[in-house]
Amino acid sequence: MTRPLTAAASAATPKPSGKGARPPGLFSILGPYRRQVILLVVLAILANVFTLFIPGLIARGIDNFVAGNFELTTMLVELGAVALVVFFFTAWQNMLQTLVSEQVAMDLRGTLAGTIAGQGYRFIEDKNPARLLTNLTSDVDSIKLFVSLVIPTMVTSAVVIVGTSVILLILDWELAAIVLLVIPLLGGTFFVIMGKMRPYFMQSREVVDWLNKVIRESIIGAALIRVLDTATLEQDKFNEVNRKGRDLGFRIVKLFSLMVPIITFVSSMSTLAIVTLGGWYVIQDSMSLGTFAAFLNYVALLIFPILMIGFMGNIIAQASASYARISEVLKAPKIIASGTHTAILHGHIRVHELSLDYGGKPVLRKVSCEIQPGTRTAILGPTAAGKTQLLNLLAGLSVVQHGSIEYDGKPLSDLDQASFFSQVGLVFQDSVLFNTTMRENIAFSVATSDAALQRAIDTAELAEYVASLPQGLDTPVSERGTTLSGGQKQRIMLARALVQNPRILFLDDFTARVDASTEQKILANIGRNYPGLTLVSITQKIAPVTGYDQIILLMEGEVLATGTHEALLHSSPEYVQIYNSQRSTSTYELRA
Amino acid sequence: MNYALDAQPPRPKLSILATLKGMVPLLEGEQRIIVYASLATLCNSLVNLASPLLVAHLVDTYILSKQFDGMLRYSLLLLLLAVVGLFTSYMHTRLMGGVGQRVVYGVRSRVFNKLQELPLAFFHANKTGDLISRINNDTDKLNQFFSQTLVQFMGSMVIMAGAAVFLLTINFRLGLAALAPAAVLVLFTRAISPWVKRRNAEALAATGGLSAEVSESLNNFRVIVAFNRRDFFLARFNEVNRANFDKAKRAGLANIVFTPVFGLSSMLAQMVVLIYGVGLIMSGEFTAGLLISYLAYVTFFYNPLRQLAALWANFQVALAGWDRIDAILEIRNDMPQLPPASAVAGASLLEFRQVSFQYTAERMILQNLDLVLQRGKTYALVGPTGGGKTTTASLMARLYDPTSGTVLFDGLDMRSVPPEERARRIGFILQEPVLFTGSVRDNILYGNIRLQSLDDAALMVQLEEEGLAALLQRFDGGLAASVAASGDALSLGQKQLLAFMRAVLRHPDLLILDEATANIDTVTEQLLESVLKQLPAHTTRVIIAHRLNTIENADEIFFVNGSGITRANTMQDAVDMLLQRQKAS
Repeated sequence: MTRPLTAAASAATPKPSGKGARPPGLFSILGPYRRQVILLVVLAILANVFTLFIPGLIARGIDNFVAGNFELTTMLVELGAVALVVFFFTAWQNMLQTLVSEQVAMDLRGTLAGTIAGQGYRFIEDKNPARLLTNLTSDVDSIKLFVSLVIPTMVTSAVVIVGTSVILLILDWELAAIVLLVIPLLGGTFFVIMGKMRPYFMQSREVVDWLNKVIRESIIGAALIRVLDTATLEQDKFNEVNRKGRDLGFRIVKLFSLMVPIITFVSSMSTLAIVTLGGWYVIQDSMSLGTFAAFLNYVALLIFPILMIGFMGNIIAQASASYARISEVLKAPKIIASGTHTAILHGHIRVHELSLDYGGKPVLRKVSCEIQPGTRTAILGPTAAGKTQLLNLLAGLSVVQHGSIEYDGKPLSDLDQASFFSQVGLVFQDSVLFNTTMRENIAFSVATSDAALQRAIDTAELAEYVASLPQGLDTPVSERGTTLSGGQKQRIMLARALVQNPRILFLDDFTARVDASTEQKILANIGRNYPGLTLVSITQKIAPVTGYDQIILLMEGEVLATGTHEALLHSSPEYVQIYNSQRSTSTYELRA
Repeated sequence: MNYALDAQPPRPKLSILATLKGMVPLLEGEQRIIVYASLATLCNSLVNLASPLLVAHLVDTYILSKQFDGMLRYSLLLLLLAVVGLFTSYMHTRLMGGVGQRVVYGVRSRVFNKLQELPLAFFHANKTGDLISRINNDTDKLNQFFSQTLVQFMGSMVIMAGAAVFLLTINFRLGLAALAPAAVLVLFTRAISPWVKRRNAEALAATGGLSAEVSESLNNFRVIVAFNRRDFFLARFNEVNRANFDKAKRAGLANIVFTPVFGLSSMLAQMVVLIYGVGLIMSGEFTAGLLISYLAYVTFFYNPLRQLAALWANFQVALAGWDRIDAILEIRNDMPQLPPASAVAGASLLEFRQVSFQYTAERMILQNLDLVLQRGKTYALVGPTGGGKTTTASLMARLYDPTSGTVLFDGLDMRSVPPEERARRIGFILQEPVLFTGSVRDNILYGNIRLQSLDDAALMVQLEEEGLAALLQRFDGGLAASVAASGDALSLGQKQLLAFMRAVLRHPDLLILDEATANIDTVTEQLLESVLKQLPAHTTRVIIAHRLNTIENADEIFFVNGSGITRANTMQDAVDMLLQRQKAS
């Protein structure tokens, strides 16, 4: 018996041994569906067994007819009954295999999504969304095919092969032994070829990841590609990957097209062995003609299931490659468990000697600072100073590597994540909109009251814009919010952060996309509508933050100076330099 | 025009034959291989038919009469047949597998190339994930059809045709009776196939929806984490996952309708033959022996038919997939390229004549704009957010065509300017910088044929000359620093720097900067300004910014506010307009 059969059979028993079974763990997915799978297997066997009755019934009918005691009605009733039973079992088996396989696929997708959802932001970046997309779609699909097609086919094939083999051995064990030599031979072929196919399937999945990525980048970059007329370039990029996929496909086809012919050939050889060897026995009168005929008939029965197993090889190799990829994601350790501290934040933040390396390069070096509750703090610095990374750390999006961050005297890691995020508002540099209504995009965080929603919209100076929308807040927003201007998107992001009534608000370069007069209004609104809020604003422009309680000057990952605008003008030459570089134009800004 | 694939007018209902005809171009150049594969399949089927007959003959003639040498001769013949079988079966799998791979390769290329030909508006109307699903998943359904189903289909047909001929020649009336259930089956299949196809189409659409959701959520995962909405992600995912499950289940159940029904018809045929055959024997027209072999031939006919049941379902899936692919291929581009016209002497670089534009029917963004840009000047567009500055710039770069009115470039209708010339002469730094996975070098030279061939040292010299070298210091690793399109390793400011360098290195005649430096610090911004000043004297610059410092050196300032465009005489004028005529949206 071949190994996948062992594995299939053991999966069907309550205690899957699984040991040494290749592909590792693929059958373990079936654990929770043990009952359905067993039922599926039983139905598949029943459907096959009853089909086998039909030639027997017809043969008996003919025998009876020849003998003269033929009764048409009995015959028809019997045949009709068997036909209906077979119909019933086949229909049931097919329905069940569809349901079970779709259920397995849905649950596996759910588990995958659950694992992904339990991970930090970094995980998604590392694993790369394009690959996770393939995991959730194509990879799960090949496992679905495995469940719906391979399991019933393998099991019924195994039953027929084992049953036939036993009968053959009883009939004449010597001849049977020779005939059954084909089975290890075929098993060997099967495994050698499958083993060779598997890496190709792995690679071809990676090609799909890659295609996903190229397509996605070309869609995100659609505007640029049209501006630069680089369609050909994108097509070349795509075709290069596409070609890789095709060439891998050729290799798989090359292997697979060996599999079935070899299997058919080897089984033809077994027929030939019976004809010549058995024929010789018969000629020598050492075997009865009846046994010989039976041998021939049973070997004919063997060929089809063996062939089916050959066809399944393709699917098994593909499914096992997909499962290996999926388990890699599933095995990812859960992110560090969230703390338990749920108290209301006052907004006292203490950063001590915070350092961060990114790809071996220092991004932040021993950053220390303190932010008092209810104050306004600006983190000022040039492009690539590490401001955004500092914000990610402060907001708990990245994990602290060296140093510490404390909120109200408690380390960030001690805080309950859900509670923390519900009290912190974050406005990112780039805007992210979801394919849903304006209302859901703004009230993204929690179930919010209409009053809170209105207050956030008013504060972000969005009220008139919302009123101008055809369906108001219920107007759908498209994936990339393409008909919204940069400033509008930015203010929607602000409203989203405010709607949860945060204790601390982090703004990343908010001033960049919103004009100065609107910005002034918005800041005044925040002060009025959200009293006691601690504001941390990341910026490169001095003018909007001169009135802040504290400005932290960050350059090349280091805090160069901390203080109020006036204090820094006296103490920090770097600050003065930046101030002067911006001063020539700040007259306009202030007035505007 | 509405580019949403879901909102396209319903496709004319084509018969299966007509749909297949639509797929024929996919097999361009494969005809010969398909003929060979069909021949291989035919031989293989004949071998499969002949072997059992040979064995029967061998047993009857030689073993029963104990002729050892005759038996050996026939055994050799059987061996020969097995070898032929080995070879032909290998050939057909190999050949058709190759066809399948090439077809998918071709279809994917065609769809992707088509995407590149479609205007920007198409991408705003369709979800990324759904497009990805169409290119990757739906094309794969075609692969399965061409590489597996088609050949098996042909093989089964050959065997069935042979068996049918046998059945009809042995006894015509009995043959008709035996084939009657198959005729019923054909009618049944015809009747339910459209329904099966529809269900598969729904399932594929649901898969597209799933892919769209995953793609959106995973690429915006930062927001999901920060707003602690993993539950939002999971809830939305579970919703599409469940919808996908429902649709896939319905399609799966539709697909399996064929199998038991085909099986039943096979048994029905045997019963019909049995009853009618017995009747014929009674009336002396038939013998019991003949009936036995007749029943065997009935099985020969119906066994492949049962295989066809599964194949037919695959076929329906492929048809549904093809429809979704074809929907993209069929989309018409409403930004036609007019034939190139000869240059107009003395024309200004760019001119808007009564240009109006709207994205949707409800809302007019720009109305009857008139605007003239001269060579070598710097223009600033200011105006309230949402006032149409970006739209104006997009029309200048022909990302859209005006709803009415004309954009003239060098005095020629913009639509007649060949795309490569337009790309060479108009540079547009977009508000959202676009990066591609690769290195800094790859990104700043993206689409730059002129500089592509330079080695790093020569490129550095070039950057030095254009005053761009200093900007590279913002990237650890310089030209070789790696860039991930989605990654956060680069800040928005750094991304903007790359986009800036990319545009400047192309030396466009018209350079549009749409809030291109919004997230760049002022010191670096001054560097950028000096780079802009170094550009050749004939370069026209259009700068969009709400930060007025970026535009104080402009020769002319235009105030853009939806309904119209007003020229501001001085900087102060512009500031006043911004303050007083602030469109509140």
